[in-house]
Amino acid sequence: MTKAIRLHAFGGPEVLVYEDVDVPAPGPGEVRLDQTAAGVNYLDIYHRTGNHFANLVPPATPGVEAVGIVGAVGAGVTNVKPGDKAAYPLTAGGYAAARLVPASALMRVPDGIDDRDLAASYMKGLTVGHMLNDLTTFAPGDFILWHAAAGGVGLIACQWAKHLGLTVIGTVSSDEKAARAKAAGCDHVILYSKENFADRVREITDGKLCQAVYDGVGADTWLDSLKCVRAYGVCASFGLASGPLPPLGFADIPAEGFVTRASVAAVVRDRPTYEKGAATFFDVLKKGIITPHIEHALPLAEAAEAHRLLESRKTTGSLVLLP
Amino acid sequence: MTKAVVLHTPGGPENLSWEDWDLPPPAAGEARVRQTFAGLNYVDTYLRSGRYPLATLPVVLGREAAGVVETLGDGVDTVRVGDRVAYSSHLGGYAEANNVPADRLVPLPDDVGDELAAAMMLKGMTAQFLVRQTRPLGPGDTLLYHAAAGGVGLIACQWAKHLGATVIGTVGSADKAERAKAHGCDHVINYNEEDFLERVMALTGGVGVDFVCDAVGRTTIEKSMQALAHHGVLASYGAASGQVAPETWAKMPPERFLVKTTLPGYTKTREQLLAAANDLFAVVRSGAVRIEINQRYALKEAAQAHADLEGRKTTGSTIFVI
Repeated sequence: MTKAIRLHAFGGPEVLVYEDVDVPAPGPGEVRLDQTAAGVNYLDIYHRTGNHFANLVPPATPGVEAVGIVGAVGAGVTNVKPGDKAAYPLTAGGYAAARLVPASALMRVPDGIDDRDLAASYMKGLTVGHMLNDLTTFAPGDFILWHAAAGGVGLIACQWAKHLGLTVIGTVSSDEKAARAKAAGCDHVILYSKENFADRVREITDGKLCQAVYDGVGADTWLDSLKCVRAYGVCASFGLASGPLPPLGFADIPAEGFVTRASVAAVVRDRPTYEKGAATFFDVLKKGIITPHIEHALPLAEAAEAHRLLESRKTTGSLVLLP
Repeated sequence: MTKAVVLHTPGGPENLSWEDWDLPPPAAGEARVRQTFAGLNYVDTYLRSGRYPLATLPVVLGREAAGVVETLGDGVDTVRVGDRVAYSSHLGGYAEANNVPADRLVPLPDDVGDELAAAMMLKGMTAQFLVRQTRPLGPGDTLLYHAAAGGVGLIACQWAKHLGATVIGTVGSADKAERAKAHGCDHVINYNEEDFLERVMALTGGVGVDFVCDAVGRTTIEKSMQALAHHGVLASYGAASGQVAPETWAKMPPERFLVKTTLPGYTKTREQLLAAANDLFAVVRSGAVRIEINQRYALKEAAQAHADLEGRKTTGSTIFVI
C-alpha cells in the first residue's frame, strides 16, 4: 500500500484527493519507482479540468514527471536496476509515492543531481534542449525570442540560451516577472501587455529579427511571432497556453523562415534521441549552468494547493511535490 | 529605340506584340544590356494572363536574359562596358536591350555561353537554393520533387542525385516520367496514375522524405506535408495549381519544417548572388548537371512560345534567340 493523488472527476483543485493505492509487481518492461519528488506542470491542470488539450480519463493519477529510486524491475528491463536513481517525463501518474513506469520512459540519473531540482526541471529542460539544440543552428550573438520568459520553461531557456552565447529577448506580463527573467539571463524583456512585441523585436534587433522564435502561448501570439523570425531562422510553436494556432495565410509565412511545431514528445518517443537529450540536460544541470527556480516544494498531500498556486499565475519558476 | 515583346493588357498569348519600345538611358546604378538570349518561364505566363498582378503596363516580360553591357548609368562599378552578363532579377528579358541594376548582373565566365546562361539563370539558380541552401542535400537524404520534368525540376533532380540524395520525382505523363528518369530521378511517380503519398511511404519504408519541393500548391501540398520524415523540410516556392487554403497550412504535422522560398530571398546581397551563380556554373561545368535547351524561338514568336508552354508541348528549357 502506498499513497497517491487520485482524480475521480474533472473539476477544481479540490478534486485532487490524497488516497491509499496499491502498486502491483512490475510486469514485463515495467519498473516500480519509489518516488522522491514529482514535478507540477501546467499540463496537469488541463488534465484535472478535462481541458481539450488533455487526454487523462478519471479515475486516474495526474502528474507527468518525477524522480525516484528503482524498487523493482519487470522482465526484460535492462536500462535500470533496483537501487538506481531514475527520472521520467511525460508519463501520467506522477503524483504518487510509488508507481509503475514503462522502463522506456526512465533514464538513470547521474550522481550529483538533486532530486527536487530534477523533478522541477526535467520535462522543461528536455523541452528547452530540443528547442535550442535540434531545430536550427546559431552563430554567437544571434537573437532569439522566448515568450513567457519568467515561467518555468522560460527561466530555464534564458539560462541555457545565455550559456550558448545567444542574445535573449523575452516577453513577460509584469515588472516583477521582468526582473526574474533578467536575473536568469534575458537580455531584453518586453512587457507584452504594454507594447507590441513584434514592433519591439524589430527595434531591439535593428531590423535583423531573430534566428529563432519560441512560442508556447499559441493563439494570442503566433501570427506576431511569425513576424519576428528572420530569413533562414526558425519559428517554433511548442505550446498552446492561450488556445490553438490560427489559420495561416500564405502572406503570414515568413519568407525563407522555417515554421514548425515541436515538443518534448518527439524527444521521448525515440530512445536514442531521448538518451542524447537527457544526457545533454543532465550535463548543464550538474554544471550549474541551469538552476531550477523552485518556488514551492509542498508535501504530496497538498497537490490541490500546488494547483491553486500555479493557476493564480503569480508563480514564477517551478513547483514540486514531495511524497 | 529598341524592339521588344510588349504586353499592353493582360490576356492570352495573342496580347504579346512585337513592336518598337522606347528604352530610356540607364539610370544611376543601372547598366544597359544588349541582349542575346532570353529564357521563357512559367511565371511569364502568369504575368501575361493577369493571374499575377503587374505593377505597371505596358510592360516587357521575361525575367531571365543574357547579353553584353553596352552603356553604364552613373555610379556603376560592378560591371564594365563589354562585359558578358546575365540576370534573373528583373523584367524586360523579351527585348533587344534592357536596363538592369548593375549589382544584380552576374558576370559570365568565358566557358559559360550566353545561351546557356539565359537558359539557367532563373531555373538553375532556383534549383541551387533549393538543394544547396534551403535543405542542403547529401548522401542518405531523400528528396521528393514535384513536377520533376519541368524546367527547374530537371536541373534540381540531376543536382540532388549528384549530391548523393535519393530522388523521387512526380510527373503527369509517361513521356515526362522517362525524361525525369534520365535526369536524376531514382523513382518517378505519375500522379495521374497513383497516389504519390502512398508510393513515397512505400519507397521510404514508411519513414517519409527529408525534403519536399512543392511549387504545385493546392493539389499537392497536404500530401506533401504528410510525406515528410521527422524534421523534414517542405519548401513551398510556387502554386501552379492554385493558392493553398489558410486552414491547410495548419495541418503541418509536428516536428516538420515549412518554408516559403523565393530566389530573391536567397540572393539579397551581391555576395549571395555571385556565390549561388558560381556554384551553379561549377556544377554545370563539371557535367553533373546538364541544361537542356529543347525549344528555340525568335522574340517575335513569343505568342507561339507561350501557347506551346501552356499547352504542355515544351520540355526542359525554352530560349528566345534575340
